Amino acid sequence: MELLTFISGIIREAFAKKIILSIFIFFSLIILFIVFAATNDSVAGMLTFLEASGGNADYRSAVIYFESNISSKIPMFMLTAFYLIIVSSFIPSMLQKGHIDLLLSKPISRTKIVLGHLIAGTTFAFLSSFFLLGIIWLIVSFKTGVWHIPFLYSILWFTLIFLVLYSFVILIGLLTKNTILNILINLILFFPLSWIFYLLNLVTKKGEQFFSFGAVTEFIIKFFYYILPKPWDLADLCENTIKVEALGSIQPIISSILFIGIMISLSIWYFNKKDY
Amino acid sequence: MSVITINNLKKEYSSKSFSKNKILALDGVSFDVGEGEIFGLLGPNGAGKTTLIKILLGITFPTSGGGKLFGKELNDVKVKTRIGYLPENHSFPSYFSGEQVLYHFGKLSGMNPGDVIRKADEYLNIVGMNEWRKIKIRKYSKGMMQRIGLAQAMINNPDLIFLDEPTDGVDPIGRKEIRDVLLTLKSQGKTIFLNSHLLSEIEMICDRVAILNKGLLVKEGRVEDITSTDSYAFVTSDLNDEAYNSLLNNYKAVIQSKNSFLVPANNLEEVNTIIDFLRSKNVMIQSVAKEKITLESKFINLIEHKL
Repeated sequence: MELLTFISGIIREAFAKKIILSIFIFFSLIILFIVFAATNDSVAGMLTFLEASGGNADYRSAVIYFESNISSKIPMFMLTAFYLIIVSSFIPSMLQKGHIDLLLSKPISRTKIVLGHLIAGTTFAFLSSFFLLGIIWLIVSFKTGVWHIPFLYSILWFTLIFLVLYSFVILIGLLTKNTILNILINLILFFPLSWIFYLLNLVTKKGEQFFSFGAVTEFIIKFFYYILPKPWDLADLCENTIKVEALGSIQPIISSILFIGIMISLSIWYFNKKDY
Repeated sequence: MSVITINNLKKEYSSKSFSKNKILALDGVSFDVGEGEIFGLLGPNGAGKTTLIKILLGITFPTSGGGKLFGKELNDVKVKTRIGYLPENHSFPSYFSGEQVLYHFGKLSGMNPGDVIRKADEYLNIVGMNEWRKIKIRKYSKGMMQRIGLAQAMINNPDLIFLDEPTDGVDPIGRKEIRDVLLTLKSQGKTIFLNSHLLSEIEMICDRVAILNKGLLVKEGRVEDITSTDSYAFVTSDLNDEAYNSLLNNYKAVIQSKNSFLVPANNLEEVNTIIDFLRSKNVMIQSVAKEKITLESKFINLIEHKL
């Protein structure tokens, strides 16, 4: 009961701060753009591109290619960055003097408060992704006549990508109590930091036949690659799912879940010992 | 039965992050608060009053020592269903209306929605905020915020209420209303732990007080014991010369006027000796009362001597 009230309080805060309204407006603009972009001409353009790339393309695969572009890295980056910016204020706002005192005097444990934030943020990301990607899927499906269900899995991928980064937002929010600093640190982690190590890891894997970084440099690259979140790898897996291709290595999923677990455990540990 | 037990509580803060310099906020504080008492915590700014309340509520952790609420350890979350708290400088989400504050914090206190609505109606009336219940609290004055804060502290029908400066920013009529609410709560058997700078208010409603200074407990006891002295105030008919001189020289009296004076006396026998002497000098006695000083005077004396 207390946990549900706490979560509903966070969602109410999102409404009050016009966060839900801005998401609705932002997503409506994207949907409008898709309404105009998802035409037979666009699909034909995709088909031509796929044929020119040497593939054995048909209309359905062109539509799937179009959909995989919608859920590719750049839209994923924009959407996740947008989410991060708007949720970064939740923890610092909770930690305001006079508010945190009152909250901690209630019969809700500090662990539940951290988990409540995680659940509220994840629910919020899932529902808004469901709204955006669900409507996009309906539009594309109606316009093209191709009802490609795997596109809807991107809702889960986007939620997982958000969850990975949000777990870090919670920890940094608790440590800094500052919204701006929280946004900055998280955006830097997301892009360029995890992006650079994603690329460097690709280079070490695919470029080894041409050149080598050297053992020490490669160790450093691997070390940071494995400890940093992997939104870009998850975006690759998302694209593979939409294209109904082999998923490949599930290492990014396992390391991302580990990352979430470690960040939330650290947040709970820190919050449980902190004086307010 | 003790509702609050504090045992050798100590709290040190680092003056800066990673600094070895420590600030001692509480230094071995121990006392108990009984059921149904209104207990006042006094002290100058920085004495450690708010730290003490925060430790009791699990908002801050003690460096050493500990305490119990209703016989349970301070880290027991469930015991908080029996507690209400009004923090100093509280900050409710500004997008809530008055009644939404009560609904939200009532449910956070473990109440079911039906009870919250019923209790919110009751307490909005008690604190005189019924007309403002639908208005967003960002439009409230300081005094109105305190009233809503007080209703919020009472919403879950707690057995123990911590109030940190509850009358801060409230006008004199509002203060009286809050005092009346506290006395009503006391008559219902609630225990109230009050932290206030307004010593006259503390004196009016508290059964017992503790005085903190620089983290040390300098005095603790019943208000009447703390404010009483070893002098008796006499009001009589006009003193004749013989009685006047004798009172001054033999009884070490402090003469205030021709018919009123203070005489030190350790017990009733000494008081009766003085009465016998006055009667033997044909002085008529109108009244005799144990002299009291105000809590404020006592507080200032204690703090200045310790500073």
